Amino acid sequence: MLSKKRSVVLATLVAAVALVASACGGGPAKGDVYTIAILADMTTTNLWNLLGAGSSAYNFVVQNQYYPTLFEQSDVRFDIVPSVAADFASPLTEEGGMWVCTVDMRNDVTFSDGSAITADDVAFTANLVLDFKLGGNWQSAYDWDFLDHLEAVDADTVKIYYHTKPGLAVHDYGTLQGPIASEAFWEPKIADAVAALEAADLSGLEPGSDEYLAALSPAHEALYAIDAAGEPTAGPFMFKEWETGAYAENEANPEYYFEGRVVEQYANGAHHEYVDGVYDFTAYGDATGEIELEYTTGPFFNSVLYSVYDQDAAVLALLNGDVDYVYNPTGYGTGIQAQLSANADVGTVTNPQNGFRFAAFNFDSPLFADQAVRQAMECMFDKDFFSQSILQGAVIPAYSPVPPEVTFWYNPDVTRFCHGFTAEERMNWAADHMKDAGYSWDVEPSWNPERGGSVEWGEGLMYPDGEYVEELVLLAPSAGYDPLRASAGVFMEQWANQLGIPLRANLTNFNNLLNESLGGGGNFDMLIMGWGLGDMFPDHLCAFFKSDAQPFQFMNYNNRQLDDLCDDFLGETDRDVAREYALQLQEILATDLPYIYIFTNPIIDAYRVDTIEFPFTALLDGIQGEYGLQSVVYAAE
Amino acid sequence: MAKYVARRLIQVAVTLVVFQTLLFVILDAQPGDITNLYLMNPKVTPEARDMIRANLGLDRPPLERYVQWMRNALTGNLGVSFMHWPRSVVDVVLERAPRTIFLFVSAQLLSFTIGFVLGKQLAWRRGTPFEYGNTIIGVLFYTVFTPWFGLMMLIIFGLWLKILPVGKFLDPMLWRQSQYSDVTANTVFYGLIATGLLIGLITAVLLIATRNVIGKKQRNLRAAGLAVLGVVAVVAWALSGIGVLALDMLHHMVLPLIVYTLVTYAGSMLLMRNTMLETLGEDYVMAAKAKGLSDKVVRDRHAARNALLPVLTFLVINLPFALSGGIITESVFSWEGMGLTLLQAVQNEDIPLAMGALSVIGILALIAHLVADVMYAFLDPRIRYE
Repeated sequence: MLSKKRSVVLATLVAAVALVASACGGGPAKGDVYTIAILADMTTTNLWNLLGAGSSAYNFVVQNQYYPTLFEQSDVRFDIVPSVAADFASPLTEEGGMWVCTVDMRNDVTFSDGSAITADDVAFTANLVLDFKLGGNWQSAYDWDFLDHLEAVDADTVKIYYHTKPGLAVHDYGTLQGPIASEAFWEPKIADAVAALEAADLSGLEPGSDEYLAALSPAHEALYAIDAAGEPTAGPFMFKEWETGAYAENEANPEYYFEGRVVEQYANGAHHEYVDGVYDFTAYGDATGEIELEYTTGPFFNSVLYSVYDQDAAVLALLNGDVDYVYNPTGYGTGIQAQLSANADVGTVTNPQNGFRFAAFNFDSPLFADQAVRQAMECMFDKDFFSQSILQGAVIPAYSPVPPEVTFWYNPDVTRFCHGFTAEERMNWAADHMKDAGYSWDVEPSWNPERGGSVEWGEGLMYPDGEYVEELVLLAPSAGYDPLRASAGVFMEQWANQLGIPLRANLTNFNNLLNESLGGGGNFDMLIMGWGLGDMFPDHLCAFFKSDAQPFQFMNYNNRQLDDLCDDFLGETDRDVAREYALQLQEILATDLPYIYIFTNPIIDAYRVDTIEFPFTALLDGIQGEYGLQSVVYAAE
Repeated sequence: MAKYVARRLIQVAVTLVVFQTLLFVILDAQPGDITNLYLMNPKVTPEARDMIRANLGLDRPPLERYVQWMRNALTGNLGVSFMHWPRSVVDVVLERAPRTIFLFVSAQLLSFTIGFVLGKQLAWRRGTPFEYGNTIIGVLFYTVFTPWFGLMMLIIFGLWLKILPVGKFLDPMLWRQSQYSDVTANTVFYGLIATGLLIGLITAVLLIATRNVIGKKQRNLRAAGLAVLGVVAVVAWALSGIGVLALDMLHHMVLPLIVYTLVTYAGSMLLMRNTMLETLGEDYVMAAKAKGLSDKVVRDRHAARNALLPVLTFLVINLPFALSGGIITESVFSWEGMGLTLLQAVQNEDIPLAMGALSVIGILALIAHLVADVMYAFLDPRIRYE
């Protein structure tokens, strides 16, 4: 027998060896629990409901990562790369009156129960969505306006059939990135829903009509009500338990295919990823030269705990060390930011939001229907001064509806009226521009150089036909709802008034803004709102501005050139060609100005630096845009 | 009496119909609907939004929806929650109610007890620094801005002193342990409510049965009996295997209970004080004093008992509103009960859930009024109903 002293020495040696071995192993050591504070409870665990009526940020933060997809967008750079697919999809070709594409799948990816993810699962999921005409986010994934059906050619090959030629939005950013559910699990459970669907009398009903949708409702209800307990999933974490109103927990998926994946993003644009001994994939150029970003995929925690808190309590829980990260899409007030910054154990990172705030012109308003006036207004609105001096750097000036971080689609060279001009130069340019367009004043705006210089306001603005311009209304959110946009409204009124444009800012209830814009009211001349953008493909360039894009195009904007370009853009399946269209669209919008893009809100994320580390924190929409980066976060040393 | 109760029941039924109608009209008159949440999402097409509206029945005319609502409400079917679709409102309410009932009924009873005891003393010691001091403190708490006060308490006891949790009704790190995986929070809440009811019932019976006990030894014996009851309850929980979970919930309950009690006790205290002052001027109180009864007997058995009626009515009528929970208290302390559910329902335009929650509260309030009316006759034999 070993003596007590020798036993201790041996145990110490074993511990030391284990420690060294773990330190030398691939990736960070595994932590126990990654705790995320969420500000509202989730409401469903049913996949069909999750992307249907039950779509909510708090459902997504827990369940977003459960479901495999054929392709996914890489972190930070948003390149489309294969996930369950083995390689890129075949080009779309016309075949028997349909547009067809084939995708080869990996044959070794499994669900959490060990069953293989096959082409049958992909076809089952998509065809179910098409059969039930599921709404909400499902239509973004599998759009029945284009998609006809999916077919499993064999276990590892899926064939996609479109009845109408799809563009990138529908195909690359839709079908190819749609969630995949397990057929073996769901097929036996959907009998009641299928029966309800078959019982729905849709004959004679126009697809999309109220009656048609109402007839489908019982089938949807039956589908959404199915208990999903025990559902096999395929993400880094899988469902463990949910105590309503208190917390939910996911545990690490032992079958996760991509555990240990190393991702390298090169400065030359190349994307390289591999799992040792499993696969190696490179795209978008040669994997040579400088690596801009490299990280390893986990999971690096045994489980993720989602703890429900009120926002103030969540911040206190973070400061107290009860949680590691706060998933907070609503943002932090200045006071809370100061509190967070003052705590050495709490780190904050700021990133731009994937979205923008804008002032829209109503083209039924005779003055703002004139491009020259819109350009003059754009010129007067000094975005840098407004964001840096007025709002003290609280926002980021915006010049395009595409965020600069979406590098592939962003046009950095769009026209920027009066960019870098002084206040005097802006006033002179804007007044001259309007004069050139035929406008006149009783008292023309002018620059008064005394006491540092100021604008002598124009008065009695007249149209080119000599008619006086009557009072115009700018609707903006009240300061209680959004002080930043309220301030923008007030300053926009001031700058318009300097030009003699009788614009009056009406800071109003947000529901009122919705009713007058998306609700179709139309009682405004200008209106300040904002968009949050869902994904990185800029089809919103058309969804917001194409003349027939209802209800988002609520300004009665009609630009034939933009409409034609949108038709080409939305129907294009070649990324590089589509990119050219996107750049042109941004230039048209920057010149014709149906919107003045005002600013982008920063997203602030707060987390415990003493308990967790992220491999990267600079990304569009912040850490919360990736729901807390659960698959790559690791325990701090 | 029976005739009176029957008449009151008819009045309650009519009031209920009017209440339900007003509820529908007011909530339905809100601009927009739950699909407004998707309005700003360009990825959710108008067609997809219409699909959701159809799913939720929002595409039907208001009159049709009203008739449906009344028919359902009268049959106890409160519809389906939009936020939790396709879960029924009753299901959501039943899930959230125990959490609120446990916290806020406890808080109401504590608040009432403190208010009653202090109010009695204030009237008895009128004009003394005790009265002024307590009145000022009570009014101070009564008028304090509750969210701020709650937050301060969280910061002091949760963040700085670290002796109480920062909100929530349980500690997930404790509950997630596998040996408790079969136990839900509501199981423990039901157990705690049942325990509270049982102890309350036994205590009430014991106190009523021994109300004429005056000897010190007998009073001590009664107190010992009550203490034994408490010990039995604690031992039973300890042996249940989930006592630690109950303890965890009680631990989480301390701060919201204190805050809610502090901001409400002054209501019953001032009411008791005023009623007691009136009672103290009555001839029978003077007669009791003239008989040479001790101050304690005059105060507690003659004056306070007669002053109790309006205060008790105040409590009974307020109890149903415990179900709406202190919305603010639940929000600040992340106590996901009925109040927070009601708030979220209104914020998210989940009309059925908001109407369902308010309906339950309304029905209970009407019942409470009826109970209060009947209770008058029971507690004060001078009151008779025609």
